[in-house]
Amino acid sequence: MNYLEFLILVLPEAVLTMTALIVIGLGAKSGRGGANPFSSGFLTAIGAAGIVAAGLVLALLPAEASLGGMLVLDPLTRLFKWVILAMSLLTLALVPGWAPPAHRGEYLGLILFATVGLSLVISSEDLLMIFLALELASLSLYILAGYNCDDSYSAEAAMKYFLFGSISAAFLLFGMSLVYGYTGSTHLAEIGAALADLPTEPIFALGVVMMLAGLGFKVVAVPFHLWAPDAYQGAPAPSAALIASGSKVAGFFILAKILLLSFADWDGSADWGGFATGWVPFLALLAALSMVFGNLSALAQTSVRRLLAYSAVAHGGYILLGLLSGGTVGIAAVLFYITLYGMTAIGAFGVVALVEQRRGGDSVAHFAGLAKEAPFTAGCFLVFLISLAGIPPLAGFFGKFFLFTSALGGSAAGDPSGLVWLVSLGLGMNVLSLYYYLRVLKQVFARPPAESTGHATGTPPLLGCMLATTAGAIIFLGCFPNLLLKPIEAALRVVG
Amino acid sequence: MIAWTFILAFAGAAALLVLPKARESASRWIALAAGGGGLLIAIQHCLLYSKNTDTFQSVTNWEWIPALGIRFHIGADGISLVMLLLTGLIAVTGVLFSWNVVKNPRLFFALFLTIIGACHGVFLSLDVFLLFFFYELVIVPKFFLILLWGSTNREYGAMKLTLYSVAASALIFLGLMAAHVASGTGSFGLFELAAADYTRGFQLWAFPVLFLGFAVLAGIWPLHTWAPTGHVAAPTAASMLLAGVVMKLGSYGALRVAMPLFPEGLAAWSGVIAVLAGAGVIFGALAAFAQRDLKFVIGYSSIAHMGFVLLGLATLNHIGLSGAVMQMFSHGLIAGLLFAVVGRMIYERTRTRDLDELGGFRLRHALPAATGVFIVATAASIGLPGFSGFVAELSILIGAWRAFPFYVLLGGIGIVLTAAFSLRALNRAFLAEEEQTDRPPLPPLTRPEVIGAGILVTATVLAGIQPQPLLELIGRGLDGPLFEAVLQIREVRP
Amino acid sequence: MSIGLNEFLAVSGLLFAIGFFGVLLRRNTLIIYMCLEIMLTAVAIALVAFSRFNGSMEGLLLVFFIITVAAAEVAIGLAIIVALFRKRGTVQVEELNSLQP
Repeated sequence: MNYLEFLILVLPEAVLTMTALIVIGLGAKSGRGGANPFSSGFLTAIGAAGIVAAGLVLALLPAEASLGGMLVLDPLTRLFKWVILAMSLLTLALVPGWAPPAHRGEYLGLILFATVGLSLVISSEDLLMIFLALELASLSLYILAGYNCDDSYSAEAAMKYFLFGSISAAFLLFGMSLVYGYTGSTHLAEIGAALADLPTEPIFALGVVMMLAGLGFKVVAVPFHLWAPDAYQGAPAPSAALIASGSKVAGFFILAKILLLSFADWDGSADWGGFATGWVPFLALLAALSMVFGNLSALAQTSVRRLLAYSAVAHGGYILLGLLSGGTVGIAAVLFYITLYGMTAIGAFGVVALVEQRRGGDSVAHFAGLAKEAPFTAGCFLVFLISLAGIPPLAGFFGKFFLFTSALGGSAAGDPSGLVWLVSLGLGMNVLSLYYYLRVLKQVFARPPAESTGHATGTPPLLGCMLATTAGAIIFLGCFPNLLLKPIEAALRVVG
Repeated sequence: MIAWTFILAFAGAAALLVLPKARESASRWIALAAGGGGLLIAIQHCLLYSKNTDTFQSVTNWEWIPALGIRFHIGADGISLVMLLLTGLIAVTGVLFSWNVVKNPRLFFALFLTIIGACHGVFLSLDVFLLFFFYELVIVPKFFLILLWGSTNREYGAMKLTLYSVAASALIFLGLMAAHVASGTGSFGLFELAAADYTRGFQLWAFPVLFLGFAVLAGIWPLHTWAPTGHVAAPTAASMLLAGVVMKLGSYGALRVAMPLFPEGLAAWSGVIAVLAGAGVIFGALAAFAQRDLKFVIGYSSIAHMGFVLLGLATLNHIGLSGAVMQMFSHGLIAGLLFAVVGRMIYERTRTRDLDELGGFRLRHALPAATGVFIVATAASIGLPGFSGFVAELSILIGAWRAFPFYVLLGGIGIVLTAAFSLRALNRAFLAEEEQTDRPPLPPLTRPEVIGAGILVTATVLAGIQPQPLLELIGRGLDGPLFEAVLQIREVRP
Repeated sequence: MSIGLNEFLAVSGLLFAIGFFGVLLRRNTLIIYMCLEIMLTAVAIALVAFSRFNGSMEGLLLVFFIITVAAAEVAIGLAIIVALFRKRGTVQVEELNSLQP
């Protein structure tokens, strides 16, 4: 192993880490009178510059490289590292306005560390490295969730996030240890190769199920979702946005990778009347539960943050559908959808943050009359929610169409009737979801503001830029999905 | 290029969204220009259509999303052109009848034009994904049109209408995906999917799913209750658009997509469709008879008229199908006219739509022009000779006579009932002789109202006395390759 | 009798189960943390045993990282407990219910 080679491969992450250290150092410096001489806008700008630099460095790296499978660079991982970086960059737009006021430097540093973790998750193909990268991201995110020391909700959210996260890490590890013990390798591709010659035994099945349970926590699938509503509600807005976007993207990416590289030979079938054991029926069950419970629970919510959390659960269910087919079409659908879902989530949390700041709460009633006070924000909110509901011309429509089509085409018998039960369930639940999105939008557009307290109106410029970027991307990708789909497909074809 | 119809509409909508507030009054002119442009393009293509023998003309076929074999494939046949004509007419008159919208006219007309553009798109799409894309595009604008500018019970009406539409769309979604996967063509093109072989077992469940999805938007009984509620709650232009054009998206989709794709499923289910259509005619008419609110009367009459369309579709013969298309055109004009008279001409002046209270206004004397228009519209709605409704309903009944003779009876009862409730409404609201002189005089009709009503009345009378050009267009559309299998179903069977 | 892989796995599985049920049933967050550590220890035992019987080093490698990560996790967990205790004056899980629908 050559250390220079190693350094080149992790150069983007190294840039991010250096930036994080610089930002933390600058943030800790005390000027005259003990106050920090650097404004949070300045620190955020440095962080953003670091992310952009990492993205540029990533573009300069060799097209394909691998370090014994520990770190892999190919077109697909490169593309999704960019996606992760973009999510972090968008999240940074929320930091000056809505991060907890104390210790901004450390807050930014933690966001960057979490980005490093997520970025490493994307590029690892070894159980050891996957575990380490996931933990790096998770540990940073736990702190980010509980960062607001003045707020007992924040600490409680962090506590629940931490507890469930640690349990899931233990399950993931135990599953990994069983899979390793059974196949004798921690490398994903070698596990897959070993499985081709081995019969499947209960102990291996237990390992796979435990790993899926651990990853189910990351992708917020029922019944591993209990932390999500609390974490989304209590965490500071930028933290919640990152948890809802970057963390979820990386979770789905690595889930797809593990299933395809390692367990492709033990997929089974969830066809109606044709069940066969494997991970497909297990995932089908998780997907069905997530779609049903996520949407039904979201109906009853009054807090918009909790509503977004349950809608995240439901969307986790839809995305799992794409994994069932196991082919490249399904994977392309999953990757397309998580990317645009992440952007939507960040944008939606931006709007929620603005409403909380101006009106002191995030209940549905607090959104009344937003269209009068901040028409641009309200318009972007419309785009986000309608895209989540899957209505054209927004990207969510095509994303769902693609996911469901690939799921239908993926049934084991090659006959579309096999998975119709699951797809119909998803479609029915999707209709339900429109009801709660419209309930919020009705407040935004049709109700007068509750009371006029003379607070500021309009959209702050930085938030406006972020919202314009995300909403614009969602509309644009809705009309021309090929712009994102083509690179994903090309990368998948190279990877094979 | 015929795509200019919806490009114009969407461009108009975009222009309205960025229009500065100071120039708000220009918004109706922009809307009128966009709608009128669409109408002119439609007329031009109707005139050009016979010069060429191709069934589908002005075809554009571009790659769009190759990963799923989705193409931007549009083109017009005779049926599309008739529907485009209707959309253009309703677009222009809808703008004229909302000339004096005061609350945020830019957004109002932007949403209006979005729906218009999406309707153009549905009528032109030859790729089922593209068709579905435009089809779903209608949902959000219509929700906001009703929610923000509506009247009676608007929040409930908007939500109910939207959820029904989305639920129906979910069925279409499922049907289209299943067809794509089962066909094995890797394409969403209408022709490729129609040419593919599906097993009979598959067609037997896929056809009803797809057809019902479209038929809900066409107001099929018993899933029609969203229509009266929603149409009554909507502002006038939106009622005209929803009842006049958007309901036709459903029947058009059923005719264009569901029926050609799954002829075997269609053959098995056509009897059921005919039963539901007949029930729609009868129950729609009966319900209209029981209403006190004039707008509800019209709302339920739409159900009865759309029942005729569905009955025409179920006949599966040439004359029945062409009658169905003709009825779509005719009902679009008549519904538009009726909603315009009630929602705009009468309600804006009297602030009531209750039949008995309207009687107190002595509308015959107070608003003679509006009364005249309403009488014409009623006559057309009943299906008197000389109006478009007569040709359409006659064709449907002839078609039904050939397919299932018993249903002609039902259709006949429906026509009688329609006449009964229409005349009852006309009599109580407009012709009541009640002496009451303490009411202030009502303001006379404005010029845009007169022009709008003039356009619609002219169109329905023209289509009534000179239906041949339209029937020719429709006939050539039905002779196309898509409907071959559909038209063979009855001929093969004894 | 000689002790084989199955015996090690049985111990590991038992420890994991004890830890998991401890997490589910105990009410004091500090005890819950200790149970989490037990779960991680169980994983370590399984990995060492597998590594020995598979004859490969990767498992052992993973164990060292698990121990390190567990330490980091505890540090963060305790920090969260302290922050929570300052605000609420309790570390009992049943009293962490202010975030409700």
